[in-house]
Amino acid sequence: MTEPDRTSLPIRREAFQGVTNRTLDGSRPDWNLIGHPVPPEGAPNVLLVLIDDAGFGNPSTFGGPIQTPNYTRMAEQGLKYNRFHVTALCSPTRAALLTGRNNHAVGFGSVGEFAGGFPGYSATLPRDCAPLPRILRDNGYSTSAFGKWHLTPDGQQGTAGPFDRWPNGWGFDYFYGFLAGDSGQWDPCLIENQKVIGTPEGFYDEEVPYYFPDAMADKTIEWIHGVRAQDSDKPFFAYFSTGCSHAPHHVAASWADRYKGKFDRGWDKLREETFARQKELGVVPADAELTPRDAAFPAWDDVPDKLKAFYSRQMEVYAGFSENADHNVGRVIDAIEKLGELDDTVIIWIWGDNGASMEGTVTGSFNEMTMMNGIPLTDEMQLQLAERFGGMDEWGAQIMDPHYGAAWAWAGNTPFKWGKQVGSHLGGTRNPMAIRWPARITEAGGLRSQFSHVIDVAPTILDLAGIPQPETVDGIEQEPMHGASIAPTFADANAPEFRTQQYFETVGNRGMYKDGWWLAMKTERIPWVITPDALKPYAPGVWDPDAGPAELYYLPDDFTQAHDLAAEHPEKVQELKDLFWEEAEKYKVLPLLATLSTFFGILPPIADKTTFEFRGDVQNVLSGMIPRIYNHSYSISADLVVPDGGAEGVIVAESDHLGGFTLYVMDGKLTHTYSMMGVFVFKQVAEEDLPTGEITVRMEFAADEAKPATGGEVTLFVDDRPVGKGRMDHTVPIRFSAYAGMDIGRDNGGVVDLAYEERKPFAFTGTVKKVVFDIKPHLSDQDELDLHAESHRGQAAHGLSG
Amino acid sequence: MAKEPTDVLMGGYLSTEAAHEDYEAVLNCGAEIMGAVVVSKDLEGKLSVEQTDHMVKEGAEGLAGIGFVVGLFAPPLLAATAIGAVIGAGTGKVLHKKTGSKIEEEAGKTIPIGGAGLIVAYKHDHADTIEPAVTRAIKKVVGEAEGRHVEALKGALADAQAKMAGQGG
Repeated sequence: MTEPDRTSLPIRREAFQGVTNRTLDGSRPDWNLIGHPVPPEGAPNVLLVLIDDAGFGNPSTFGGPIQTPNYTRMAEQGLKYNRFHVTALCSPTRAALLTGRNNHAVGFGSVGEFAGGFPGYSATLPRDCAPLPRILRDNGYSTSAFGKWHLTPDGQQGTAGPFDRWPNGWGFDYFYGFLAGDSGQWDPCLIENQKVIGTPEGFYDEEVPYYFPDAMADKTIEWIHGVRAQDSDKPFFAYFSTGCSHAPHHVAASWADRYKGKFDRGWDKLREETFARQKELGVVPADAELTPRDAAFPAWDDVPDKLKAFYSRQMEVYAGFSENADHNVGRVIDAIEKLGELDDTVIIWIWGDNGASMEGTVTGSFNEMTMMNGIPLTDEMQLQLAERFGGMDEWGAQIMDPHYGAAWAWAGNTPFKWGKQVGSHLGGTRNPMAIRWPARITEAGGLRSQFSHVIDVAPTILDLAGIPQPETVDGIEQEPMHGASIAPTFADANAPEFRTQQYFETVGNRGMYKDGWWLAMKTERIPWVITPDALKPYAPGVWDPDAGPAELYYLPDDFTQAHDLAAEHPEKVQELKDLFWEEAEKYKVLPLLATLSTFFGILPPIADKTTFEFRGDVQNVLSGMIPRIYNHSYSISADLVVPDGGAEGVIVAESDHLGGFTLYVMDGKLTHTYSMMGVFVFKQVAEEDLPTGEITVRMEFAADEAKPATGGEVTLFVDDRPVGKGRMDHTVPIRFSAYAGMDIGRDNGGVVDLAYEERKPFAFTGTVKKVVFDIKPHLSDQDELDLHAESHRGQAAHGLSG
Repeated sequence: MAKEPTDVLMGGYLSTEAAHEDYEAVLNCGAEIMGAVVVSKDLEGKLSVEQTDHMVKEGAEGLAGIGFVVGLFAPPLLAATAIGAVIGAGTGKVLHKKTGSKIEEEAGKTIPIGGAGLIVAYKHDHADTIEPAVTRAIKKVVGEAEGRHVEALKGALADAQAKMAGQGG
């Protein structure tokens, strides 16, 4: 068989080389017809690991406090890269990683939740930018992805697809994980290929509870074994993208307890200790300086003594969670080693996609969604809410969805300033990377300091596999990848810089790197603050991006961005500003702040659909796909068949006790429970028993006003007869959950009302024929428009934490 | 001769643990109290009431019909997502206190799921000892009144109630 033309995908089958006569007499088969594309000789397996929401100063491999023996093992047998860069936000980094192109250019200026109307922010991959898994698959690789995806628009995550925006559509043969920006690790709502499979059965096993990180490793190993059982030679590409260490920080106490007391001296001390270790390890130059603490983060000494244990435990859990991720990646590596293929496998392991996340705000939160729903809580309030759900011993358990305080994230980004969302500074953009492949890397344990970027990973993998970038895919001419192969650095620590220029942009925070110089243009907004006042300076016609603060650093002499040289080199500042605008135009970054466009009145059309009908046993409707009842009057009605003797169980339930609603029957009474993010819980119970036979039940919420988080009155009906009522003083304005789904006829995963926790999923014992949501428009068109705007602003705010 | 003023402290909490911690702190702070009661509701809606003996006595003797506002915390909803809305004052409802069992009946209607409230009555002379002992209340107010025993207590309760309601979210 001749070497195929790999520049045009899919690879065309060779012409039939046999003979076909009228009968078999004289006919000769061509067995190549039943073959399939084969990668170039010697193409290695690839294991690509991406840790979520973590910083340069987290793993012990790079001097951090979190023990990462497997990461260290890979680095000691391979190379460490200490000037590797990402995009400062989840989906954008993933899009760049898997396409080899700048994130805006492939529609991911922001996150999957925010599919905007500008080319750089559509969250929709252009067809002229075929992603890496598709290229590898078409060239004969087996491809798979496990864990977090976050590249599918929020409203396209159901049975109707379209599936070209799901992992399979990007070229992965197999996917096991979640589509959203984060997930509970104990109670995820999972996807397998193109099906929402919901919360695994193991969730209900109290003896050996399901844990997603363990399952991810199990599934990866199982998939690799399956590939090998069928084909002993076919190389595989496995993308292992952990939900860790994004919130919710879910891990068993036994992992968190490994760090008991280790953070009691606070984040300021932790930074100093980490920085000293980083210098000892040589991942930070000896002459580097530790950057100072910004006033946005409190000094540890200013934290009241009574709250220090609360803060310490937040970091203990995060550390245990992260160490567990290292452990599970290690299990996958061990499995590959047992197959005898470790040295035939390129392992690229990136510790963090955007720097550690500061979205827990200063206090940290028992429920990551409180910030996203605009509920400001002091640290004492957060502590009390944690106590409500079992106290700090339960911080990593399923009962909470915790996120640590912003200062811990800042410490995790040691030695840099800021973190996630801040594309102008290294805290949000520089993350550790380790690469192991002894076939080409001979200096085990070496350090590489060439400036590299996440767009370089895909071209590197293609380079190592001997696969060219395709010129056309499905007949569509392809835009060349923007990245370049890192491979020349494998054998030569002094290989020339291959990336001399790179732009960065996240939520208006901009960086422009060229020949060692870095222009940092951070908006003055604190990343976790999206108040009207904070946004006012960035409104159209008000904001002049060039007039904002500009800092200039020369990184070859200043590894940490400690010395601002802008005042000394105004000409360099101007040169890099001009260059940024050129790059921004070229790569579809414009308009700046498109991520926040909804805050400035640029809105998608108002949906005219207000009635949503669910027939049959519909389950696991993902949280971004449920009827948007927020801030409106609405009703939920259900046609039921209640057998003689009565029925009980859940009729419809969304999410869980940390934010959600449930309409159910218990002790013969129709009941509605509504959790306002676990901060307030409202419950209404019918005053009479549910009748038998074919009946209709309904709950109606009459909003007080057309305002976000509006209170209102609830009335319960049976066959149009009021049977109960109550008041809900506050409702959820934006979103109940980042990951938990809605179910008809049961309450899968974590339950909304803990009164039936012991009976979960508390399936309805009668028949639910259909459930109808009717979202009542408010009377005024202006009210409706205002709420529409608020809804999308909330969506953007939610997206920022992706 | 002027009567010594009577104070009533009310605290609102998001957890039973926090309310009990303050309740214990008050009982153990060394000051003399006229009475204290802590009411809380767990996540399944089950109500708990704990009170000092003298609170029952005070209630039985003269507090019938007096309204307690249990200061229930309500955070302002903000702005952080440009919502700009404000959750209204978490004024709670009136808790009519007559006897221990009446507390349960009324508190059952007024304490939110997961929330708790603390009420402490004491002579004003002890304020410097008692008030600092209450460290975990999300909302804390002190009502004050002078007069004869029962009237002073009634007045202080009414004052605390008004302050709690007025403080809002």
